[in-house]
Amino acid sequence: MKTEKKKRSFVKRIGKRESESILTKRSTPEKILFGIVFVIFALYALTLVLPFVFMFISSLKSSLEYIDDLIAGSTLGLPDKWMFSNYVLAFTEMSVQDSMGKDVYLPQMLLNSIWYTAECIFASVGASALTGYCLSKYRFKLRGFLYGIAIFSMTIPIIGSSGAAMKLAYNLGIYNTPLYPLLTGFSGFGFNFLILYGFFSGIPWSYAEAVFMDGGGHGTTFFKIMLPQAWPAMLTLSIMTFISAWNNYMTPLLYLPDFPTMASGIYRIKLTFTRGGNYPAYYAGLLVSTLPVVLLFICFSDIIMKNFTVGGLKG
Amino acid sequence: MENEQVLTKPYSEDPLPTPKKKSAMSNKRAERIFLFLMLALPLLQWLIFWLYVHLDSFILAFQDKRTGEFTFQNFEKFWEMLTSPKGEIKIALKNTLIYFSTEIIILLPVSLLLSYFLYKKILFYKGFRVIFYLPAIVSSMVMVETYTSFISPNGPIAKLLELFGGSIPPQGLLANASTATTTIVVYCIWTGFCGNVLLFGSAMARVPMEILESARLEGCGPFRELVQLILPLIWPTMSTQIIFTCTGIFNSSGPILLFTNGAYETETLAFWIFAQIYGGGKYGGSGNYNIVSATGLCFTLVGAPLILFIRWLFDKIPTVEY
Repeated sequence: MKTEKKKRSFVKRIGKRESESILTKRSTPEKILFGIVFVIFALYALTLVLPFVFMFISSLKSSLEYIDDLIAGSTLGLPDKWMFSNYVLAFTEMSVQDSMGKDVYLPQMLLNSIWYTAECIFASVGASALTGYCLSKYRFKLRGFLYGIAIFSMTIPIIGSSGAAMKLAYNLGIYNTPLYPLLTGFSGFGFNFLILYGFFSGIPWSYAEAVFMDGGGHGTTFFKIMLPQAWPAMLTLSIMTFISAWNNYMTPLLYLPDFPTMASGIYRIKLTFTRGGNYPAYYAGLLVSTLPVVLLFICFSDIIMKNFTVGGLKG
Repeated sequence: MENEQVLTKPYSEDPLPTPKKKSAMSNKRAERIFLFLMLALPLLQWLIFWLYVHLDSFILAFQDKRTGEFTFQNFEKFWEMLTSPKGEIKIALKNTLIYFSTEIIILLPVSLLLSYFLYKKILFYKGFRVIFYLPAIVSSMVMVETYTSFISPNGPIAKLLELFGGSIPPQGLLANASTATTTIVVYCIWTGFCGNVLLFGSAMARVPMEILESARLEGCGPFRELVQLILPLIWPTMSTQIIFTCTGIFNSSGPILLFTNGAYETETLAFWIFAQIYGGGKYGGSGNYNIVSATGLCFTLVGAPLILFIRWLFDKIPTVEY
């Protein structure tokens, strides 16, 4: 109890000391500068929040009202009647056709998004953890070469290989199959590698030595000691991969045409609107598709902000 | 420095406390097996999906699409598309360089400024930090849809312009070759700070407070603090980001597919390649992988030395350890 009190007062003292730091005291010109910047920031932030307001309001209008408002220039006008039924319509009526002519509806797209994203996270973060750990903690003959290919692959601007990649996907039989994201995503020498390499480098080797003393092996050290310690970085990377995979419409469009995800499927739905369509229901679907990433970000924003660091490229 | 210390005392240098040679040998063997099991799959993946793909792309560039015979035809076609007045690749290259310049000249420096003020705990900084990152987490379709509605001839931006005597042409800004690319570039600026702000913000958070405090005691203002103290201290992150941006020079693009699908001279190299591959001809793409590979090879030959030079140049700049 006493220790708790002591701890609390210490934290208070530290907090007070930080708030009293000379860095937080601003001169008058600085206050003016920060005031102007604050106004600019606030306006910019407002423009970034507006899309959600626009989407939400538009998703609750009737099709006719939406078009009328668009012509009249009152896109942000509130709906006459709040049509929450558009959200039901989005899930029951909006669909795209696969190559066999079968309709794929939004719930199926949601399911596709879930497994596609899960595969991307597992493959990308998993592979990077393996390579990041080995290259940061062991000295072996191929270490320099492997680090070299990681940096080379990331920093040499090679473009135009998508044709060959598509050809390979066809030849391997993974084109338009759930295996595609798993196999192509299992890349241990990308940006995630760089982050995990840095993270593992910071974990002292003495932990491993203690495991060896107790008769543990390299596998035990990695899975039971090192990996649990790297969870902040791995969680951050998983969230980042989640966000990018969930929103990625290009890859599913190119390589998984029969497995439309929320992102690629909604894009394809929009393509069918050439002669008008139910835009409010489309916006409802779009809004629902963004919900998981927004919620995830709200829950983990602090972790992401703290752990997303990249150092230099020198190995 | 810390990383180096960890690396200089790896397991292999200070082995297990068993003096027996046999035991040491078996430990070395166990280490090798462990490393093999850990690295075999990622390495195999790299060999197939990176090395093989790029080698095959190189071969494709010299192959005829139908017969598969050796030819320079793809390069001739590439040259024609690059040099003819309305050549697709010429337009795509011009637009790509516009997007790249925007990233380097506008997005990176402004992101640094944004990060600085957030780091300096401007009022409501926590909220700003989350809001500024929204474009990175929300599907670009949401942002594009809103932007397109707002800049439509009857949209809120048009209403705002009317107050100042301006207007948006009746066909809109995106359905006009002279304004379409600029309109998409403005969109990219609007939504493009998020990733950099996160990276720079994290790097700034690690800057030792004592350095900034002592500088402040000596009368250092915000500009000098940013340029002469923080920038050198976060240089490893900054230089990595610049190198990555330069690496993506020929991939620089906006969401062309969502805005115009390449119409009104908005194509970029990345989009042009996508359009050639998309559906292998089935959904409208040409499916001509050979011309894509030839084009890619030409730009790689230009880009690779450039990047190597930039990396060499950046390596010359001393980094501060702290």
